[in-house]
Amino acid sequence: MSAPDPDPLHHPEVQEAGIIGYTAGFLATLVLLGVALLMTELHVMPPGPLLGSISGLAIIALLCQTFLSFGLDITRHNIWKSVSLVLTVPLFILTIGLTVWMFQQLDALTMIPGSNIMPGMTMQPTMLQ
Amino acid sequence: MTLGTIGADEKVVLWQYGEVAHDMISTKTLGFWLYMLSDALVFAGLFAAYGVLDHSMNAANGPTEAQIVHPIAAFWQTLAVLTSVFAYSVATVAVKHGYRQLVVLCVLAAILLGMVFLGLEFSDFADLYAHGATPQVSGFLSAYFILIATHGLHMAFGILWLLVMAIQVSRLGLTAPVVAQLLNLRLFWQFQAAIWVCVYVFVYLKGVI
Amino acid sequence: MFVHLQGPYSFLFGRLTLASIPYDNAIIQFAFGFAAIAAILVVAPVLYYRKIPYLFREWLTTVDHKKIGVMYIILGLVMMFRGFFDGLMIRTQQVMADGPHSAGHLEAAHGYLPPAHFDQIYSSHGTIMIIFAATPILTGLGNIIVPLQIGARDMAFPTLNAISLWLTTVGAALVMASLFIGDFSTAGWVGLIPLTELDFSPSSGVDYWMWAIQISSVGTTLNAINVIATIVAMRAPGMRWTRLPIFTWTTLSTSIIGLTAFPILGVALALLGADRYLGTHFYTAGLGGNLMLYTNLFWIWGHPEVYFLVLPAFGIISEVIPAFSEKPLFGYVTMVAATFAIAGISWVVWLHHFFTMGAGPLVNSFFSVATMVVGIPTGVKVFNWLFTLYRGRLTFATPMLWAVGALFLLLIGGLTGMMLAIPAVNYTVHNSVFVIAHFHCMVLLIVYAAFAAVSFWWPKVFGFKLDETTGKLFFWSFSIGTILLFTAMFGLGFMGETRRLDYLYNTQWFPALVIEEIGVGFYSLSVLIFFAMLFVSIRDRVKNAASADPWGTSRTLEWLTHSPVPFYNFAVTPHVNSRDELSWRYLNNLAATAPEHFEEIHMPNNTPVPLIIGALAFGFGFGLTWRIWWMTGFSLLGIIAVVIYRSFARDKGYHLSAEVMTQLEREPPLGVIAESQYLSKHPLTGAGAH
Repeated sequence: MSAPDPDPLHHPEVQEAGIIGYTAGFLATLVLLGVALLMTELHVMPPGPLLGSISGLAIIALLCQTFLSFGLDITRHNIWKSVSLVLTVPLFILTIGLTVWMFQQLDALTMIPGSNIMPGMTMQPTMLQ
Repeated sequence: MTLGTIGADEKVVLWQYGEVAHDMISTKTLGFWLYMLSDALVFAGLFAAYGVLDHSMNAANGPTEAQIVHPIAAFWQTLAVLTSVFAYSVATVAVKHGYRQLVVLCVLAAILLGMVFLGLEFSDFADLYAHGATPQVSGFLSAYFILIATHGLHMAFGILWLLVMAIQVSRLGLTAPVVAQLLNLRLFWQFQAAIWVCVYVFVYLKGVI
Repeated sequence: MFVHLQGPYSFLFGRLTLASIPYDNAIIQFAFGFAAIAAILVVAPVLYYRKIPYLFREWLTTVDHKKIGVMYIILGLVMMFRGFFDGLMIRTQQVMADGPHSAGHLEAAHGYLPPAHFDQIYSSHGTIMIIFAATPILTGLGNIIVPLQIGARDMAFPTLNAISLWLTTVGAALVMASLFIGDFSTAGWVGLIPLTELDFSPSSGVDYWMWAIQISSVGTTLNAINVIATIVAMRAPGMRWTRLPIFTWTTLSTSIIGLTAFPILGVALALLGADRYLGTHFYTAGLGGNLMLYTNLFWIWGHPEVYFLVLPAFGIISEVIPAFSEKPLFGYVTMVAATFAIAGISWVVWLHHFFTMGAGPLVNSFFSVATMVVGIPTGVKVFNWLFTLYRGRLTFATPMLWAVGALFLLLIGGLTGMMLAIPAVNYTVHNSVFVIAHFHCMVLLIVYAAFAAVSFWWPKVFGFKLDETTGKLFFWSFSIGTILLFTAMFGLGFMGETRRLDYLYNTQWFPALVIEEIGVGFYSLSVLIFFAMLFVSIRDRVKNAASADPWGTSRTLEWLTHSPVPFYNFAVTPHVNSRDELSWRYLNNLAATAPEHFEEIHMPNNTPVPLIIGALAFGFGFGLTWRIWWMTGFSLLGIIAVVIYRSFARDKGYHLSAEVMTQLEREPPLGVIAESQYLSKHPLTGAGAH
């Protein structure tokens, strides 16, 4: 702390900057989102698989952002960032996933139209609509 | 260091002299990284709310998702935010080589592109308002507007920060605190792109499936 | 853009009018008189002894983690006193308002509190006890102890630490302001929806509640960041992860929860705010809102929050029991694993707070099983403590009494929790006072641990021990109150008493209500004993002066430095060789080996920035509550301006030279209480003193 600060530009987090990775991350994200847009606009598959596919593309785009554009790795100065990210991602998924799941179940049980998660159950429009 | 002896003659260190080298730049970027994780959870909450309210029931006879999102128009926003983040990435490469002028130039480019993004978003909102699709119409529109506006607010805050950093780099130079801030801002700006990827796919694209 | 509200509105004062001040209410008059006397008792000596510059220089602008921690705990104790008063009023109302023939006093038909006032009291009781009493006390303890336990000179971000403190204080101040200006929420501490919507709660009460929690939770999140960064980056050499004291581990896990769960609360409340201010329809009962969305988001935070509080309590128990059993903690590794298992599982159990929503058998089963799984790591912890006690050389000093008492509460609270985890049982007792008795056992376990911690670490911070006789009397009085009150309450729950009743219709409950009231009587007695304990301890502080390790059997690093801890913590950074460093040094006869010489050290400067940010945050919250837009905007812009200004003005801190350090260590300063006295009587020489 009292030791004179070494040149901040020699800090590993500054030195890890690299134009190639950044360009790759930028282009990859753009292409992936472009493909997702095309697939959606052209309706290349039924809604269910399409949603799955574009979600997959989104995840790949996020990975490109994290590892190419942001350059996250497990070197000494980044290890705690990686660890905390790995610990937080499940919370992200649990928060959204469990919420959506429980409300889908609730909607089905309260027979809210449009929530046809029960196979073979057809919903007629009710007074609710 | 002060040594002690245990057992027969095994030496152990008891007190450590010399300031223990805590890397302040890394500590700051770690702290800010943790802050961004907590900010990510804010978006998790908003996406969860959107996931629940994104239902025909919640449109309450108002416009539905498919009627208000325009993925092709929004792709220009995608382009703007990604390019802005890329411009800032180039700034960090310039930091590495100590090119102060280039850093400022790239930061200004990032500001400009960020403003383009916000301009597009504003015109999108204005269009929806003109058609009577306001957040007060239905639960679904509330969730839609608040989710997008929260991201927009982050972008606006990021532009302010970029402006402050442009001034700091030109006035204070690339000192250790400025560099630490530049690194934190990089994470903040990158994070906006990552959230936009989620917004684009799970709001705009999913809306027209 | 903003919702149009009925009633008077002015640009200057927003919705605030003279009629908002309940000066004609007898109870508020009493509360105001009480608060005024308390304020005079505190302020008068400060003015008389001209201590304002001292307070400002040494406390209000401090960045010292110990002083910040002490202020956190003082805040928590003051708020706990207020929360205790609320509890006393709730119990007294219920015992007075039982049955149709019960008398009515003041403006009430039964008892002495009209329903709207009673509702405010239970809402503020819950809000205060959880968010403004338990949370600050535990945060404060973490602030004081963690840097000492890992051998750091301060937190990673000292200024941010002070900002966290002031934001929490602003939240508490808003709750207190609601007592005299306007009213408080009547919707319970959880914010029962849609009662919190503007249509049903048009007054400023819900706004007070919402912004108080919102602002203080920002402070909690920032503090969590600080603690995690400190533990990761600031450990002394040799302090490996496998040597980290358990309290530090639990504070780490609790900070992870604080970091990740509080943002969800922020979202839940912000969306409610959007409903109330912008007229959106997130939680409204019509127009596409979803009531249960609020409940869901609230409890996504709410359940982790319970573990946010209980984990440091477990950490405290894990520090106190080994010290007074003269044995190392049994099962260190399993203790750490159990801590993180509990923290992890806390994220998949939140639906058990609203099983009766009826999400279906599949969803309820999932959350039921997940809830029961929490019992496994908790059981591991209980057995670890028992095996630590087993064949130990036990000393029942006051901290030990509190720690062992906490174990009993954990057992009762935990087992009733297992009962509540069964959806079938839950449907029967949902919203009954059985649930209240259950979670009071759990939060009282936290209070017990907090009192254990306060009496355990008090000598470390202030340099003298708390009086043992009054301390034990305090424990027993408090415990008798707990047993009487909550045993009766469990029974009332099974007899069908639902929660939040201002009037009770069943006269058969009366005997149990009287027992509860007697329990509250013991609580009141224990509050008096607590003040007596403080008085006696401060009076006898010279007699009870503490050495570095006043208990003689402490195990961890914080007991290696002076009591009270000097403002720089350790003159020379200790090198850690063992898990229980101090006991290891005792065993090897090394505890007395002091550093050979001293070197220059670097310290951060005090700064008024956090205090200014806190003041502006109060303006922000108060302005929003009363919709005084100029005040809100000015405060928000002010905060942004101060932060930007601060980022330009670099504060380099100051150095204490080797000679000064030698002088300070040879003649140990009075430390945390009287640092400035020392520095003003012995002006520091050499390189850049202040």
